[in-house]
Amino acid sequence: MAVSAAHAHQRGRPARQRGRPGALRRAVASDHFAGWAFVTPGVVIILLFGAVPIVWSAVMSFQRNNLLSPSTPFVGLANYKQMVHDPIVAQAIQHTLIYTALFVPGTMVVGLFLAVAMNRKIRFISFYRTAAYATMAISTISEAIVFIWLFDPSYGVVNYFFSLVGIPQQQFLNSPSEALYVIVAMTIWGWTGFSVVIYLAALQGIPQTLLEAASIDGAGPWRAFRRITLPLLSPASLFLAVWLTINALQLFDEVYLSTQGGPLNATTVLVYYLYNQAFQQFNFGYASAIAYFLFLVIIVVTVIQFRVGKRFTYYRS
Amino acid sequence: MTKHRRRGTTAVLLTALTAATVALAGCGSDSGGGNAASSGPIQIWEGFTGTEAKTFSHLVSEYEAQHPGQKVSSLYVNNDDTLQKVLTAVRGGSPPDIAYLYGSWAPNVAEIPQVVDLTQVVKQPGVDWNDFWTGERAVATVNGKVIGIPALVDNLAVVYNKTLFAKAHLAVPGPNWTWQQFVADAQKLTDPAIKQFGTAYVTPGTEDTVWHWEALLWEAGGQLLSADNKTAAFDSAAGLTSLETLRTMAVTDKSMYLDPTDSAYGNLFNSGKIGMLVTGPWDLSSFPNVHYGVQIMPSYPGSSGGHQTISGPDNWVIFNNGSAHVSAAEQFLLWLTAPAQVKYFSLQTGDLPTRQSVAQQASVSTQMNAALPGVSTFVANLGNVEQARPQIPQYPKISQILGTMIVSVLLGQSQPQAALASAAQQVNQALAG
Repeated sequence: MAVSAAHAHQRGRPARQRGRPGALRRAVASDHFAGWAFVTPGVVIILLFGAVPIVWSAVMSFQRNNLLSPSTPFVGLANYKQMVHDPIVAQAIQHTLIYTALFVPGTMVVGLFLAVAMNRKIRFISFYRTAAYATMAISTISEAIVFIWLFDPSYGVVNYFFSLVGIPQQQFLNSPSEALYVIVAMTIWGWTGFSVVIYLAALQGIPQTLLEAASIDGAGPWRAFRRITLPLLSPASLFLAVWLTINALQLFDEVYLSTQGGPLNATTVLVYYLYNQAFQQFNFGYASAIAYFLFLVIIVVTVIQFRVGKRFTYYRS
Repeated sequence: MTKHRRRGTTAVLLTALTAATVALAGCGSDSGGGNAASSGPIQIWEGFTGTEAKTFSHLVSEYEAQHPGQKVSSLYVNNDDTLQKVLTAVRGGSPPDIAYLYGSWAPNVAEIPQVVDLTQVVKQPGVDWNDFWTGERAVATVNGKVIGIPALVDNLAVVYNKTLFAKAHLAVPGPNWTWQQFVADAQKLTDPAIKQFGTAYVTPGTEDTVWHWEALLWEAGGQLLSADNKTAAFDSAAGLTSLETLRTMAVTDKSMYLDPTDSAYGNLFNSGKIGMLVTGPWDLSSFPNVHYGVQIMPSYPGSSGGHQTISGPDNWVIFNNGSAHVSAAEQFLLWLTAPAQVKYFSLQTGDLPTRQSVAQQASVSTQMNAALPGVSTFVANLGNVEQARPQIPQYPKISQILGTMIVSVLLGQSQPQAALASAAQQVNQALAG
C-alpha cells in the first residue's frame, strides 16, 4: 500500500482516490512500481543493517547490557547521567575537539596549498598529482607504522632533524602533552590527498576569464587569489569542512594503531573510548549512550557549519 | 610483549560490526538449547595460522580417521575478534560448538548462559586434570566452575642479547639472579651515544603493560587483591618495591626504552639496540639477527615470592547446541588435549606443552629447543607459574586502572607511593560498584 500511496501522492491526486478499485492496478502498472521493486531488496538490506542497529543501539543506551548475560534491565537515563560524572568522557570530549579544531583547518590549508601549486601546466604534473593522492590509497596501518618510527623519541628522523637545528629532543608519543599532536600530523598527512583532489577539481572549474579580467584591472596574483579564487572555492571548502569534521569527530584507526588511547588517556577520543567501553569493558549500554551523544554532537556541528557556511559560500549558477 | 598482534580495524568496519551484532541480536531468537537430535559435524572456531593451522588440521583429520562417524569442521576466526563473533552467534542462536577464547575473557565468558559447564567432565578418569599447569587450571575456572580446557600456554622470561653482554664485559644472567642485578646490568648496557638501551617496557597502558608488572608484584611477595577478591591488596611494601624497580630504570637510570605502541621493541631488540627484554616464547622467532639467550625472571632476595612468572593461557570453550553436539565436542576436546596430541602439537609448532607430563619429557624439551633455541627455558619456566590474575568480571576495569598507574610512574608523572594509593582507591571503588 505504501507504493500506491506514494504513487498517488506524487501524481498530485486527492488522497481519497487511494481506496478506489483500480488504484492498485494503476500503481502496479506504473513506472514507479518497477522502480520500487528494483530498489526494495537494497532498501531492506540497508534498513536491516543500517536502521535496525541505529534503533537497537538507542534501546541499548537505556539498558545495562553487556551482551553476555541475557539480563538487560532498563536503567532509564543512568548511562547518560554516568557520562556527566565520568572524567574520562570529559577528557575524551576535550581531545576530540582539540583534534578536530586542528585537523580540519590543517588538512584544508595544506590541501589548498598543494592544489594551487599543482593547478598549472608543468612537467610531471600527473606524477605530482598521483603522489599527492597516494596518501589516500595507503592503508592506515602502514601510515601509522611509518609515523610511529618517524616520531620515535630515540630513533626517529624527526628528533634527528630537531637535533640538527638545535631544538630539544621531544618524547612525542611517550608524552601526554604531545601525543595528540602527533596523531594530528599523522591524519593531516593521510587526508591531504583527499582535500587536494577536491580543491583541484574546484580550481579547474574557475573560469580563466575572471582571473584575466582581474589582472587587466591591475589585481596582483595574491589579490586575485583572495578576491576571486578563494570565494569561488567556497562550496568546495564548505564540503570539505563538513566532511572532514564528521570524520575528525569519529577518529579511531590512528589512535587504535599507534597509542591505544595512551599515554595516560592523552589520545583517548570519543570513539576510542566507546570502543574501549564496549569491547574491552563489556559495557555495551554505556558505549551506546556515548555513541548517541557523539551522534548528537555531529548533527549540531554539521547544522552550525551549514548555517554559518551559507554566509560565506558563493554558488555560481 | 604483545602476544596477539592487532589487526587494523576501521571505525567504519567497527560500526558495521556493531551494527551486525545488534541486528542479529535483534532478529535472532535465543535458542540456546538447540536440537538434541541434530547431528552433523561439530563446528570449531580457531585462530591458527601457518604451522599451527597445518598441525591443527592434521590432528583433526587424524581424529576423524580414528573416530568413524565423527566430523569436525573448523573455521578460522582472528583470535582478537572471536568473542565479538561468538556473542553475535549466541544471540543469533547458532554459536559454534567449540571456540578458542583468550583466558583474559574467562570471567566474562562465564556469564554467557550457553557456555557448557565442564566441571564434571574434567573429573572423568583419563582426563587427569591436574596434569594441566596450575596457571592454566586457574584461568579455566571461574567461581569454582570449569568453563574451558587449556588450549595454549605461555609465560614471561628474560631474553637477552649475548653479544651486548660480552661487549659490556658482563656475566650473562644465571638462574639465581636478582632484580638488583637486572637493574645494574640494564644500566651498564645503556649507551645514549649509540642509542642502546638496557631493557624495554610497553606503555600503552593496556593489559600488556599490566601483566609484566604483575609478575614483579608476585615476586616481591605481593598480591593484587585480597583473597576474597573484594579489596585491593597491591598498595603494599611489595607493590612499592616492584614499582620502584621499574621507576629506577625508566626515570632515574633512563636504561629502559618505553614503547607506547607495543610494536617497536621487537625490531629494536632484533637490531641489537636493547640488551634485555621481559617477553614470551612467541617473540623468539622474530629475533633471527641477534645471538640471544633466555633466563627465567630475576627474584627479589629476601622475598617469599622467589622466581615467579605470569602466564596468559587461552581456553577451548564449549557452547550448548544440544546434547549430541555437546558430547561430541567434549569427546573431541578431550582427545585434542590428551598428552599424545599435546606433544605432537608442541613439537610441530614450538608452542609450550599445555600438560606437565609432556613438558617433563626430556626429549620434548630438547627437540623443541633444537627447532627454536631458548624455548626450553620457557618450558621449564611453566613450573614457576604459581598464580593467576583474579578471575572476576571487573578485571578489565582494574587492568585499566593499573595500566594508568604503571605508565604514570614510568613517565615520571607520579611517585610510586602516591600512584599505588590512588590506584588502590579506584580499584576498591570498581570492586564495590
